[in-house]
Amino acid sequence: MSATITSVRGSPLLQRALPSLIVLGVIVGWEALVELNGLAPIYLPAPSSILRYLWVMLADGSMEYNLGITFLRIMAGFLVAAISGVIVGVVMGMSPLAARIVDPWIAALYPLPKISLIPLLIIWLGTGETYKIFISAISAFFPIVISSYSGIGQVDQGLLKAAKDLGASQVQVQTKIVIPAAMPSIIAGLHLGMGVTVILVVAAEMIGGSSQSGMGYLLVNAGQVMETEKVFASLIVLAVFGAALTYAQRWVDRIIAPWAQGKV
Amino acid sequence: MEILVENVSQIFGAAPHQVVALDHVTHRFPSQKVTCILGPSGCGKSTLTQIIGGIEPCSAGQITIGDGRAGLGSQSVMMWQSLNLFPWRSVVENVAFGLEVAGVSKAERTEKGKKLLASVGLRGFHDHYPRQLSGGMRQRVALARALILERPILLMDEPFAALDAQTKIVMQEELIRIYEASKQTILFVTHAIDEAILLGDEIVVMTARPGRIKDVITVDLPRPRSQELVGTPEFGKLYKYILHLIREEVQNAMAQEDLAVAAS
Repeated sequence: MSATITSVRGSPLLQRALPSLIVLGVIVGWEALVELNGLAPIYLPAPSSILRYLWVMLADGSMEYNLGITFLRIMAGFLVAAISGVIVGVVMGMSPLAARIVDPWIAALYPLPKISLIPLLIIWLGTGETYKIFISAISAFFPIVISSYSGIGQVDQGLLKAAKDLGASQVQVQTKIVIPAAMPSIIAGLHLGMGVTVILVVAAEMIGGSSQSGMGYLLVNAGQVMETEKVFASLIVLAVFGAALTYAQRWVDRIIAPWAQGKV
Repeated sequence: MEILVENVSQIFGAAPHQVVALDHVTHRFPSQKVTCILGPSGCGKSTLTQIIGGIEPCSAGQITIGDGRAGLGSQSVMMWQSLNLFPWRSVVENVAFGLEVAGVSKAERTEKGKKLLASVGLRGFHDHYPRQLSGGMRQRVALARALILERPILLMDEPFAALDAQTKIVMQEELIRIYEASKQTILFVTHAIDEAILLGDEIVVMTARPGRIKDVITVDLPRPRSQELVGTPEFGKLYKYILHLIREEVQNAMAQEDLAVAAS
């Protein structure tokens, strides 16, 4: 037993391959479980048949189409939330009066599960694009505001004093010190916001999406007709898509704020 | 440029919890000399320097810089204990910050910044970020950032306190070299007796809280000075005398802390 541990530690190649080997092992085990027990595909389809369905959905373009639609909705919701959230957070951070005015609203609205707004939003906005973008934007707005605001509040006072001592005006202190110094927190807020946007867009597509498009619609639709393979295929695509979004976001972060990554 | 400090007091907080950091401090800091302010921690030596630099307002008293026509802070620049370098700015952007906020063109300030960096031994490091540099190199960046403004008064708040012994020696000699060349008026805060003797033309010894001036010692050792001075009998005599003064104050400070702990 101890020999195995030593050999794993001793071999960097095996160590690097280990995560992939575990994934492979789970897939093989899953396939075996389904095949050996003859499980009905409605409950648990085999990975091989999920893959076949995935291939069909990719080939006929339905997967790309729905994923593309979902992606556009996520981007629209995220952009609205990012721009408005960063602006409100920065203004709150710079003006104590603005912070006092906005704070009770955030305290009241932030803990409210945004999904609970869906019935009201459908009444007001219908079930079209506005509704989906609004529900995702308003959900992502709060983490972005809160992170931006707290980031600005936590700027090292020493840096502000140093900048003033070197002759910076109030405006220069804000633009050249406060905002760049708060950037890591703002970026953290944008990451949280992106995660929330993905959740809410897919949820909105599942609940009352009149356009009959998007990954949420695909999932609900496949579920209703018991096409479990399609459900799994959509989930896999969503998971890979989520990971891709996270990596893309980190890449953007490195471009706009290389000093915040600890890698410069 | 001469600095006249008259009856300056600094009181933090409101009664009954107020802390008297400085109590009627009066001193004339001579022009183009190095004055070291020496005292136990919490004696208000940093506070005094910040008041002279116009960074903090004082509760009472008056500061006159030169002939009194120049505004507080306009003739001086601070080098901070924590350096307060801007982590998102490259080395040269840090050094040139004072010129940038004064509206100097990018080409001009970059050239000047690079020249100054070369003069403090950081040629070729202008595009690095502060976190990529060693502690000693960061000190040089902070020093260059202060020197670039060519202000007649240089305030230094324990800038070398966090350095290892060897780097500290190198930086002290660097400062001596810069002083001999520029003949700025330097206020150097320290809690190290040997550093105060090595650098200072005059040493202002402060009492434990409330900060008052306990003694002013003229250091009549020849310039330019170097570390060799440390072994000489004259140095030893001064060291012993100041050690005696400081020991009393440190004991007072510790007694005060014990009282404060007992009372809380």
